[in-house]
Amino acid sequence: MFKKKINSLDRSTNVDIFIKRPDKYREIEKFSLSSDNLITMGACASYTPASFKKNNLSLLFTKFDRIINFDKANKTITVEAGIKLSNLLNFTLKENLWLPQIPGYPSITLGGAVAANTHGKSSDTHGTIRNQIKSILIFHKTHGWMSLSDKENKNIFDLTIGGFGLTGTIVNVELELIEITGCNFTTTIEKVSSAKDAVEKLNNKDFSNLFSYSWNKTSNIKKFGEGLIFNNKVNENEKNLPIRKMNFKNKSLNKYFTFNLWNKYSIKFFQNLYYNYFTIYKNKTINDNYENVLFPYAGKETYFHMYGKKGFIESQLLVPLNKVDIFLDELEQLINVDEPDIVLFSIKKIIGKELFLRFENTGICFTFDFSKNKKNLNFLEKLDVLSIKHGVKPSIIKDSRLNSNTIKKCYNDFENFRKNLSEFDNKKIYRSELSDRIGI
Amino acid sequence: MNYLIVGASSGLGRDLANTLSKNSHNLILISRDKRDLDVIKSDLENRYKTKISSFEVDLASKDSVVSFLDNNEIKLSTIDGVLFPIGMMSDNDTITQIKSEIDQINDANFLSIVKFLEKIIPIFNEKQKGTIIGFSSIASSLGREKNMLYSASKRALNSYFESLSATFVNTNIKVQFYILGYLDTNLAFDKKLILPKASTKQLATKVLKNIGKNNIKKYYPGWWGLISYFISIIPFFIIKKMFKFIK
Repeated sequence: MFKKKINSLDRSTNVDIFIKRPDKYREIEKFSLSSDNLITMGACASYTPASFKKNNLSLLFTKFDRIINFDKANKTITVEAGIKLSNLLNFTLKENLWLPQIPGYPSITLGGAVAANTHGKSSDTHGTIRNQIKSILIFHKTHGWMSLSDKENKNIFDLTIGGFGLTGTIVNVELELIEITGCNFTTTIEKVSSAKDAVEKLNNKDFSNLFSYSWNKTSNIKKFGEGLIFNNKVNENEKNLPIRKMNFKNKSLNKYFTFNLWNKYSIKFFQNLYYNYFTIYKNKTINDNYENVLFPYAGKETYFHMYGKKGFIESQLLVPLNKVDIFLDELEQLINVDEPDIVLFSIKKIIGKELFLRFENTGICFTFDFSKNKKNLNFLEKLDVLSIKHGVKPSIIKDSRLNSNTIKKCYNDFENFRKNLSEFDNKKIYRSELSDRIGI
Repeated sequence: MNYLIVGASSGLGRDLANTLSKNSHNLILISRDKRDLDVIKSDLENRYKTKISSFEVDLASKDSVVSFLDNNEIKLSTIDGVLFPIGMMSDNDTITQIKSEIDQINDANFLSIVKFLEKIIPIFNEKQKGTIIGFSSIASSLGREKNMLYSASKRALNSYFESLSATFVNTNIKVQFYILGYLDTNLAFDKKLILPKASTKQLATKVLKNIGKNNIKKYYPGWWGLISYFISIIPFFIIKKMFKFIK
């Protein structure tokens, strides 16, 4: 078997794994049956090591990227789970249909998005990808081929969406698509004076905008959270223009500079540059294409490389609406004392409901990126305590630090997920570094 | 145009199907597993709106090949060209271990192609035109300890296609033959190779570009031609010494 050294995107984990790449249906069966433990790998673009485990088999699923059925009248599509989201959109957008719950990088596969229950930037309107999934076909080493839906094997269906690939290999997914009137966007930019101001504006969003999210500065503690809200709406004047096929080059997300280039000076410099670029140089309203709007990280891989060899930590927190004010007050106090180096801070709203380990509820989602150093790690430990105190959910797929203890306290359904999964697969055949770390 | 692709479910065959369908050609696809064929068929029909038929045939089984050929003469009479991107390897393909797989490897890599062409050539002769495209391997350049029968059957295929070229040299039946180095397919995915693997997508594009040409014999990637040439001029006593050195 082919052994390869592999890194998680946040560079928290660097291990040797075995990889097999099936490209026939019988190979899914053959390779799965040949190994005691395994996990499925899509683009391997998760921040955390969710698609591999040291010395275990990863089934690289990228060859399963075909369209099995498309019903334009009923707006449904069945596709193999290894399809890249950009390729899925290349097909559906031609038909004025789309899948809104798109994470920020084009090479992410549909299977990965389902396993992580992704939410995208229109999460305040469309919630998570769960809302579009009609059925799933999985292959499990002991249970074999299983069709999952609300009507068939519902319990496993629910465990699979946001289940980190632990119920088996997601082979294909039937999706309900949503109409989109055009693929060119108008972006309006709005200033916000603080994180609370951003939350208030995002909470009272004008729903003619498809996406609304903020980018906030962190370098000036006195004006913490001052920043910009980006509102993207379909450009009605350009909605009849032909759609240009997205063709992203395969840039390595896993490269890195020798040293971490993010420190308080560079953070201040880049944040001021970015803020002034949009407030002084750019107009308040700009035309944008859908590649930039949907996949903001594509072409900006240097951002990740700049964290250097030690990598970074992303903490994404979902705060219940009634706790946002008090959470922000205490967060600002904590930041004033600890002065962590926060490279990126962004806010958006999510709608949804809690179940198992899904990063889903109705609330405000705060995203913070940190370089990995002692000061920031100490701060993040305090942030965990704050999260537990206020019933905040930290994203398991984003933050490689999270341990079983924190997750148990933040996810009411943790034990329920573990129990259900154990009943389905008591041998823990499908496992990853992530699942081992959080004890499921 | 209508093309028959024998061995269409994965690797080069799948990329050829994709490239030809994208360029508005209708296809008949043949492969061993119905599940793979069904998915490829629906994918191409959805993406490119071309006509695709598919047939489940085990190319490593003489009976399966003969049964398909006997029952589908009408279907075969519609084709304008045939491509054989097939190859079968086995981990047991050594002098002592091969045993039960001898026929399968020979059939999949060589004899099934001969059987297909036995039926197809009369159709092309009658139409006075047609395209036959075969794919061999650089493994055919030299005998070896592993993949022994694979390289032998591919060498037989080389000879067979040279004979086809000689037969149809002054006709409208075009014979094209590609000798392939390492390709990024599942045959090579988990193997540590000294030289780089070439893209099957790029090869499929090249095959499409050359599809109107007659009597092609090409190495892909091209530099394998040079390696093959050197192998052919090295005296055998030196090759024997090389084998000893490697062992």
